[in-house]
Amino acid sequence: MKPIRVCSAALLALLVSLTVAACGSSDSSSEAPAKVGAVPTEQSLTGKTGGKLTVIASSDVDYIDPGAAYYQFTFMVTYATQRPLYSFGPDDAIDAVPDLATQAPDVSSDGKTVTVKIKPDVKFSPPVNRAATSADVKYAVERAFLPTVGNGYAGAYFGDIIGVQEFQDGKAKEISGIDTPDDTTIVFNLSRGSGGVVAGALALPISAPVPQEYAAKFDAKNPSTYGMNQVATGPYMIEADADGAVTGYEPGKKIDLVRNPNWDSATDYRKAYLDTINVEEGNEDTTVASRQILSGTAQVNGDFGPPPPVLKQVVGSTPDQLALTPSGGLRYVALNTTMAPFDNLDVRKAVLAVFDREAMRATRGGPLLGPIANHFIPPEMGGFDEAGGLTGTGVDFLKYPKGNLALAKEYMKKGGFPSGLYTGTEDLLMVGTSGGVAQKSAEVAAAQLEKLGFKPKLRLVTQDAMYTKFCSVPKAKVIICPNVGWLKDFADPQTILDPTFNGQNIVDVNNSNWPQLNVEAINSAMDKAALVVGADARNQAWADIDRQVTAQAPAVPWIWDDTANIRSVDVVGVINKFNGNWDLSFTSLK
Amino acid sequence: MSALLTVNDLKVSFNTDDGVVRAVDGISYSVEPGATLGIVGESGSGKTVGTMTIMGLTRAANTEISGQAIFDGEDLLRASEQQMRAIRGDEIAMIFQDPLASLHPFFTIGAQLVEAIRVHNDVSKAAARTRSAELLTMVGLSDPKQRLSSYPHQFSGGMRQRVMIAMALANEPRLLIADEPTTALDVTVQAQILELIAELQAQSGTAMIIITHDLGVVAEVADEIAVMYAGRIVEQGSATELFSSPQHPYTRALLDSIPRLDRDRSRALEPIAGRPPSLISPPSGCAFHPRCPLAFGRCPDELPALEPTAPGSQHLVACLLSSESRSAER
Amino acid sequence: MIRYILRRLLWVVFLLFAVSLITFVIFYLLPSADPAALRAGRQPNPALVESIRHQLGLDQPWYVQYGRYMKNLVFHFDFGFSYQNGVPVRQLIFSRLPASISLAAGAAVLWLVVGIGVGVIAAVRPRTKLDRASMGLALVGISAPVYWLGLVALYLFSADIGLIPILPGANSYVPLSEDPAAWFTSLIMPWCVLAVSFAAFYSRLLRGNLTEVLSEDYIRTARAKGLSERRVVFRHGLRSAITPIVTIFGLDLGILLGGAILTETVFNIPGIGRLSYASIVRSDLPVIQGTVLLGAFFIVFANLLVDIFYAFLDPRVRYQ
Repeated sequence: MKPIRVCSAALLALLVSLTVAACGSSDSSSEAPAKVGAVPTEQSLTGKTGGKLTVIASSDVDYIDPGAAYYQFTFMVTYATQRPLYSFGPDDAIDAVPDLATQAPDVSSDGKTVTVKIKPDVKFSPPVNRAATSADVKYAVERAFLPTVGNGYAGAYFGDIIGVQEFQDGKAKEISGIDTPDDTTIVFNLSRGSGGVVAGALALPISAPVPQEYAAKFDAKNPSTYGMNQVATGPYMIEADADGAVTGYEPGKKIDLVRNPNWDSATDYRKAYLDTINVEEGNEDTTVASRQILSGTAQVNGDFGPPPPVLKQVVGSTPDQLALTPSGGLRYVALNTTMAPFDNLDVRKAVLAVFDREAMRATRGGPLLGPIANHFIPPEMGGFDEAGGLTGTGVDFLKYPKGNLALAKEYMKKGGFPSGLYTGTEDLLMVGTSGGVAQKSAEVAAAQLEKLGFKPKLRLVTQDAMYTKFCSVPKAKVIICPNVGWLKDFADPQTILDPTFNGQNIVDVNNSNWPQLNVEAINSAMDKAALVVGADARNQAWADIDRQVTAQAPAVPWIWDDTANIRSVDVVGVINKFNGNWDLSFTSLK
Repeated sequence: MSALLTVNDLKVSFNTDDGVVRAVDGISYSVEPGATLGIVGESGSGKTVGTMTIMGLTRAANTEISGQAIFDGEDLLRASEQQMRAIRGDEIAMIFQDPLASLHPFFTIGAQLVEAIRVHNDVSKAAARTRSAELLTMVGLSDPKQRLSSYPHQFSGGMRQRVMIAMALANEPRLLIADEPTTALDVTVQAQILELIAELQAQSGTAMIIITHDLGVVAEVADEIAVMYAGRIVEQGSATELFSSPQHPYTRALLDSIPRLDRDRSRALEPIAGRPPSLISPPSGCAFHPRCPLAFGRCPDELPALEPTAPGSQHLVACLLSSESRSAER
Repeated sequence: MIRYILRRLLWVVFLLFAVSLITFVIFYLLPSADPAALRAGRQPNPALVESIRHQLGLDQPWYVQYGRYMKNLVFHFDFGFSYQNGVPVRQLIFSRLPASISLAAGAAVLWLVVGIGVGVIAAVRPRTKLDRASMGLALVGISAPVYWLGLVALYLFSADIGLIPILPGANSYVPLSEDPAAWFTSLIMPWCVLAVSFAAFYSRLLRGNLTEVLSEDYIRTARAKGLSERRVVFRHGLRSAITPIVTIFGLDLGILLGGAILTETVFNIPGIGRLSYASIVRSDLPVIQGTVLLGAFFIVFANLLVDIFYAFLDPRVRYQ
């Protein structure tokens, strides 16, 4: 789904605050830590109705517009205010439940048609006040393709809908492939059999209805101002005046959620115990912010995790205030497979073999932050176990978490370097993120490469610049990208592997296939797997692809991140496993 | 007539990081009411420090003061700071060398004069201002009302010194201390200022101590002269005597270093050879001996006492030479 | 005087133009993020990226973009839209300004009072233990990093996580218009933390100035007039010693009004400083440009005010 970066400001702030503790644990155990803080996630859990929850965040949402939102912290707000066709209950990150929809999507056997029936009685918040219809869902998907809105994933999951190209080119006023035969039925007609993925992606906020007659005038602005005038369908809405103008959001300062007067609990699985939710942004110092939560000044964290010292303290003293959840993402060091010396498979394998990935993980805080990654599909994702689980796919060059110089030299010899060391003298351009933990990781990675005689020339820039000017731009000819990572969009393994290793997805701008791996067998296997329908079959197909990708050694996977969340003692916190943070619609006060 | 100010064995030394500076090392003199005492010496001879000490302006943690300074029956060296404040600017006033530096650059002349008056007299601002204008007229400045609103930098040097004089005389002091009052001024202005001082002094009957390195200046105004060298008085006597028969080789050297109309023009001006002595470690014996053309065997060892040149004479000198050999040179 | 002010105002305008131009150029030269790519999302087709680039006006040569920006600014006082939020930059800035002003003004009062007080005490008692102790402490104050000081203050005194919980801590800022009492208490710690290094610097500066001034001839004159020591120090001495402080104070205040990034960050005060920091991280050029211009405006304007004020303080300047 998204590169691990989406809210760079938050991440940067987090990284800065982590600097001190970057050396992390010296504990050599490579096992995943025992999960602490069993936080109840059962929907059935009853909570006390009423009260105000204070969420503190270090930075802002990426886009307040639900059609552009693409960051977990934003989703935290979006899923409480918007009702997409499907969404994820707190305790199940894999299977979405019907939300605006009445039942599971109907995917035709050829995978080319997805039909969804929607509830007739879900109303928009004021000033729209009417019930949402299939046309509103259609407009929501259409507007996501408007450049004024800037949705980051519409093309990736809904690009197969017939008529998208014409709509984007301005030749059509609407997307012809979306049919709304009546107010409660919407049909997506696809140019190929990718209905399985489209059905899954309907759980993203893009499918939350948007009333065209109200929103069109805002979408005509550049950029769209619908975000500051949005209407809600969920139990909460961002505080707004009578005309719908948002008053409860001040960028970088706060997001105030109040109850949506038009929400009917009978139509929703959400509990919505809380009366108001105040998100207070700008708490850059995450140590201070974390302590405020633990001491009860604020109740839960928003976009940041507690820094390692706080984390260790919580684990030791009040573990029930902490929740660790697999993030569904991983970090890796990408090797450019199109340029020397890493166009040589054996040389790449040598790099993977020599890498001390425990040292890499230590820069982030050690085992508490997640297990060392041995392949690419992360835990709690379909296909993870099939691809080898925690131990890996069995390749020898990922067998040693601390690295194995002898094995690496063997591979170098096979790759044409008889001494076992690299003999080229050229500088290898390596672009990392400056500051904090990321910089430490980049420096450790450079040191690993030097073990085999490579001469990485490390250039450090801001996180956004690293992606948008260097690593995501093939023309920039970066050889090593030490600070890249990927996070699922939803539980389907395709959302992990396809954007990152499919050779057909290499683009000039915002390329996310950082190693630029372009192996025909893998590409075609992905094409086939994308059209597979049925969870088990899909998981197996993508697990096989994971093994193939791993065998190509395009990158050094080094951590499957866990997300750490904390709460104050007066909160019954409920984690949404899919989104990896607190579920505002289920959390309640004690 | 009893003396207005009598100074007895005044000693002032400063403890500095480099050592103890003996700025004034036992001086005695007295000033009669209405009379003028000239204190002459090179810079660093202690002439300024001595009078500043009498005014109570050198008091500090690192200063040691001993002796007496009896003013009007009261020892100023032992007076409280409060008593001194009442005396300063009222009973005893001062005029300083550099009138530009001595006037506050940010306040108008008027404000500074009014302040000087009001600190000792309970009068209204308006009254003080009227008096200030009178004072300016007295010191010969035209258009006084407008001058009051001017700042020091808008005046010439001579005008500024007139303002200083006006300020000093504002409260009709009984003693005026003029510390190099003309040094910073143009030669042409110097005479005017000296005349003004003398004239005003004559009018008011104020006693005066005039401090200068220039014997020419004291020649015009002083009744009595004390010559200082390295913190001590080396020669003292009436102006007439001192000029007609200078006894100390230093006094003579000073006289030789100034142009005089009554002197043979062919005789070159002779600057005093050598450098002023260090006050931290002054030369042994007579402090002047390293520079003295007549120094002999006893000079480096013995400290000469200030004694009458002849029994019963008011003319005092501190020199080891016999009176014959002192005058033989001339 | 009027002519002088007019000439200076023209200079201010020119400087602001120069600053805006430099900001623009730097943004295009340095490896900052590509705003169009940030918006385009993942694996966009080139047409989409180009379309966004066009929508944001980023496909034009930089001088055309600059020209358009300046035109809107000059004729409509329009700072453009944030790439990130789609919110007018002017609105963002004006919503942040009160917090920055509150922080800077309060801290300024504090550091002036403390800095001048300590400086005077040290100057009138030179080389005493009090002097040495206060100047030594001031040196520590100057060297202490604000961010660190802020954290120490929070861990010591904040009501939620402090050892001695007596003051509202981070994230407690309330606008003056909402609740003056809460505004005041929430700013006590930030004011103190921000003021420390300034107070320390000012006290050392003032001590130096005043010591020098107190050895001036006109101070001797003042004493010779029979003025009390208090009057000598405060009226005659301070009047001169404070003049250079006024210059520095104007500039310091100007800089701080443009945002006290570290203090605003550690205490989470929603001011200009945090806005500019966030905009730089996100390569949000219109916001960067807006905050930089605002900061530059405050600085050059403060400079102008200081120069005019200086003329009132020092008659020697006034009459030249």
